[in-house]
Amino acid sequence: MLTIRNLMVFYENALAINDLSLKVKEGEIVGVIGSNSAGKSTLLNTIAGLTLDLKIKERRKGGERITIMGRIDYMGENITDLLAVHRVRKGIILCRERHPIFPESDVMENLRIAAYLRSKSHLKRMVAYIFELFPALKDYRKKRAGFLSGGEQQMLAIGMALVAGPKLLLLDEPLLGLSPAMQTRLVSAIKDIRKSQGVTIIISEQFARPVLPIIDRGYIIENGMLVLSGTGRELMENPEVKSAYFGV
Amino acid sequence: MLGTIIIYGFINSSILVLVAMGFNLTFGISGVANFAYGAIYIFSGFLTWIFLNSLGINYLLSIFLTFVCTFLLGYLIYRFILLRVRGLSLSEVMATFGLGLAIMELFRYFDFVGVKYSLPVFIDGSVPIFGNYVDYQRLIIGIIAVAFAVAFYFFIHYSKVGLAFRAIAQDDVTALTLGIDPDRIGAISLALGSSLAAMAAIVILPLGTISVENGYEVLIDALAVCIVGGLGSSVGVIVAGLVIGYVQTLTANFFEPRWMILVSLAAMALVLVIKPSGLFGKQKELEERV
Ligand SMILES: Nc1ncnc2c1ncn2[C@@H]1O[C@H](COP(=O)(O)OP(=O)(O)OP(=O)(O)O)[C@@H](O)[C@H]1O
Ligand SMILES: [Mg+2]
Repeated sequence: MLTIRNLMVFYENALAINDLSLKVKEGEIVGVIGSNSAGKSTLLNTIAGLTLDLKIKERRKGGERITIMGRIDYMGENITDLLAVHRVRKGIILCRERHPIFPESDVMENLRIAAYLRSKSHLKRMVAYIFELFPALKDYRKKRAGFLSGGEQQMLAIGMALVAGPKLLLLDEPLLGLSPAMQTRLVSAIKDIRKSQGVTIIISEQFARPVLPIIDRGYIIENGMLVLSGTGRELMENPEVKSAYFGV
Repeated sequence: MLGTIIIYGFINSSILVLVAMGFNLTFGISGVANFAYGAIYIFSGFLTWIFLNSLGINYLLSIFLTFVCTFLLGYLIYRFILLRVRGLSLSEVMATFGLGLAIMELFRYFDFVGVKYSLPVFIDGSVPIFGNYVDYQRLIIGIIAVAFAVAFYFFIHYSKVGLAFRAIAQDDVTALTLGIDPDRIGAISLALGSSLAAMAAIVILPLGTISVENGYEVLIDALAVCIVGGLGSSVGVIVAGLVIGYVQTLTANFFEPRWMILVSLAAMALVLVIKPSGLFGKQKELEERV
């Protein structure tokens, strides 16, 4: 479904992604594991087209600061130079880190905004599914999103991504700052999303343990470079990985 | 006396709200302060006049054509001028202000002055309200302002474009991840803001003659209302419109009508000194900077 070949992303002269190649098959849940500033967000933003968008915006202001090299193919099409909005139309939906929501709008309005490209009936169907997935949100339909707790905002953000109609869903550190109980709930929700909606998912995390039960495969990146890849079990059995990413 | 102040104050407030809404819409959504706003206002007036008198098109159709033209003008200004300086606030101000000056002074150069440049009222005559004879045109202004405020609320909260406006105003990157194109929405916000200037011009200008000076005054009024209300806040525009409108009417009644413009200027200066973000504004950076 997604093939990345020799991707390089420079900010000024700093290398954020270094010669990275990876493949994601349809229906998979793939983990991208790395510590702070390893390049997880840069990778997901580049797949979603946000890095390209930033590059264009900066060029307008007269600065060439970002360089993107390599090639990204999605469903048999080269999307390396495709603008972010068109990628969204094709079903690549990114849920950015730190629960991106519209704080002044209430929960329902956030979901309505997310349906910008989709039909009313799709919105209705997804909203029913989201409230089934996250019953807590249902009681807060009229509450301003900015007043929700971090966990609730994260649920809403994932809900909005679902309303946007993903085929490939990119979740950037969805578990960041959540309690272990909340993490467990969210992880099982993500599993359900794949099963009932047939969505392919890439999920990034600092630590491997919480997502290990649901990922089919994982990639470990350090300083923008791929250092290891394999199934969850293979990763766990690697002694170096174990100490660095399992917190033992 | 009280009746006069209530009714004329309300009409005056309606005029200010109508005049400020378009400027506010564009600023609230795309962050562009459109200083060509006053020019677009008189452009709409003169354009309707030309359709009506030079081309002999009927009034309703002339108005419709003016809306189409101002919408396009706003769209083109964004696509061909603003897009290239997007994010550089000072350049945006210079570009729109320069364009506004050019449009207004061109009208002066081609001699668009004199009493013949006026638009007909929609309905002739007047009705007694609280013992005052209020002409229909002023009544229509009040009704349109209220109807517009209600329609605008539903448009912003329930239509796709309105929701996209709300999204872009809050967080344009998150909006982008949902497929909302900031450039497209920015262009529409400028186009719609310009059409609102046209709407204000078409209902207000029949009260007098169309002159280039109107353009400058409208820009001052729009700025005053938006700054007092808090740039980008629709509730702020309505509250500030009412406050300034009634104070102006009181001033005209108890002192002199020519001091009315002083009220706008004084209100603007006062708010900038005391609370630069305005009554309902969220431009927190402004506050910190001052
Ligand atoms: N817009 C930007 N401009 C310049 N440098 C950037 C930009 N975004 C990221 N970087 C740099 O690129 C590197 C990778 O950052 P990135 O945000 O991708 O890391 P991350 O793995 O998501 O980290 P975290 O876990 O902290 O979110 C960092 O060194 C960062 O400073
Ligand atoms: Mg990150």
